[in-house]
Amino acid sequence: MFFSFARIIKFSLQDIFRNIWLSLVTVIILILALFTVNMLLMVKVIGDMAVEAVEEKIDVNLYLKPNAKEDEILALKAKINNLNEVKNVEYISNAQALKNFKEKHQDNPEILEALRELNINPLTPTLVIKPKNLDVFDNLVNRLNALDENIIESRNFTNYKALLEKINSITRKVTEAGIFLSAIFIMITILVIYNSVRVAIYTHRRQITIMKLVGASNWFIQMPYLISGLIYAFFGVAAIMLIFYPFLSLLQPYLEAFFVGYNVNLLDFFYGNMFTIFGMQFLAGSLINMFASLIAVGKYSRV
Amino acid sequence: MIRFHNVSKIYNKSGKALNKINLHVKPGEFVSIVGQSGTGKTTLVKTMIGEEQVDEGKIIIGGWDITDIGQREIPILRRQIGVIFQDFKLLNKKTLFENVAFAMQVCGGRPAKIKKIVPHVMKIVGLEKKISSYPQEISGGEQQRAAIARALVHRPKILLADEPTGNLDSINANEIIELLLRINKFGTTVILVTHNREVVNNLRRRVVTIDDGTIISDQAVGKYIL
Repeated sequence: MFFSFARIIKFSLQDIFRNIWLSLVTVIILILALFTVNMLLMVKVIGDMAVEAVEEKIDVNLYLKPNAKEDEILALKAKINNLNEVKNVEYISNAQALKNFKEKHQDNPEILEALRELNINPLTPTLVIKPKNLDVFDNLVNRLNALDENIIESRNFTNYKALLEKINSITRKVTEAGIFLSAIFIMITILVIYNSVRVAIYTHRRQITIMKLVGASNWFIQMPYLISGLIYAFFGVAAIMLIFYPFLSLLQPYLEAFFVGYNVNLLDFFYGNMFTIFGMQFLAGSLINMFASLIAVGKYSRV
Repeated sequence: MIRFHNVSKIYNKSGKALNKINLHVKPGEFVSIVGQSGTGKTTLVKTMIGEEQVDEGKIIIGGWDITDIGQREIPILRRQIGVIFQDFKLLNKKTLFENVAFAMQVCGGRPAKIKKIVPHVMKIVGLEKKISSYPQEISGGEQQRAAIARALVHRPKILLADEPTGNLDSINANEIIELLLRINKFGTTVILVTHNREVVNNLRRRVVTIDDGTIISDQAVGKYIL
């Protein structure tokens, strides 16, 4: 059994190296297919990260009158906290708001100087309300608009929903285009591998005839071509790993610049999930290659 | 050893390649099957190695009914029947040793066994000094000997020789027939398919004559009658 397996590997490697240019083309097409799939995954990850980051920042601010009493504010906070749509409510007093403001602008002496010249705290106490999720955002805004409390000075309801819908829409469109492109490359991969195996069988038809004549089993005749499919998948995935990580390293600074203030780190994601991502790709690549090989072997090895 | 019972093989449109063949070959026999081209001799060989399935009748080889043999059983059958052809079917990029060893390698033979058996069969066929030669470096007769050596590595009980002298001059042809006779002496049943009159007449062994897919003559010590 061991000797048979070793010979199958040997015959498979002979097939690959005797048709080296065809093998190279096969692996290159596989690399293109895997690159498209990884680009698609990358877009999906960026989209998810952007949505998550924006969702994390969604809140509604209720600005209260500077002279609002603490117990009135706390009563209002409790009232809002009881709403079904609310995840939590944070009260920021005007003193805390001033402290936060100074910390935020500590590198901007002009703003700090202006604040000092005012000699009073111009900031108002604020209730920062986080919705349970994006779906209840509209309801929450309606409920807060309906509040008739004297201590409310103004309301700031940024339309995050539109922003998220825009991100989702872009991600969806890019994903659709990516799926289309991936499907084309996967089809091309199947056809190229099918053709590679067909050519390999044609090249070795005399050898296959002799193998059959002297009593080689069908699996022994067919296995080298299936193993070739596995080897193509292995080299394809190894190559895409060597290409994709440097590509991500080059891309990461641009992503950080684009998503400033958000934590969008693709390198971390692809390193953290390396075995899952590329293991799955190897598995899928192997299955596709073996599927194409199996059809070609079934059709052309009857010599 | 080999029994054909009312065997018929029909190819589309071209009629019957084999028509109700009844043939019994005993263990250790040397049988020549003769007939002109296209009379069904090669079809008969193909049915014996499972390359063609018969449409009617029954074929039994060594007590094994191979009439409806499955794809998975064909390799087992072929390891018990050695076959040689007119065109030798050797691999030009392999040496004679590698060509013969190949037959054992593809059937899972262990390297130690291969190293032991291959030189032995090469000696039987008289090629022990040419094991490192490539097929294109030796004569047609020697190539056929190498093919016989390859057919012998599985120690078959039956050796099928389909026109083994077809590509050889009379001297090489006689040498191959001598070799087949020697192998037959060891107890191997030999079926020689040929249309070489001189070879058959010199053999003075059993001759089965086929014409148009039918056995028209079966003589214990026969001659080429067509």
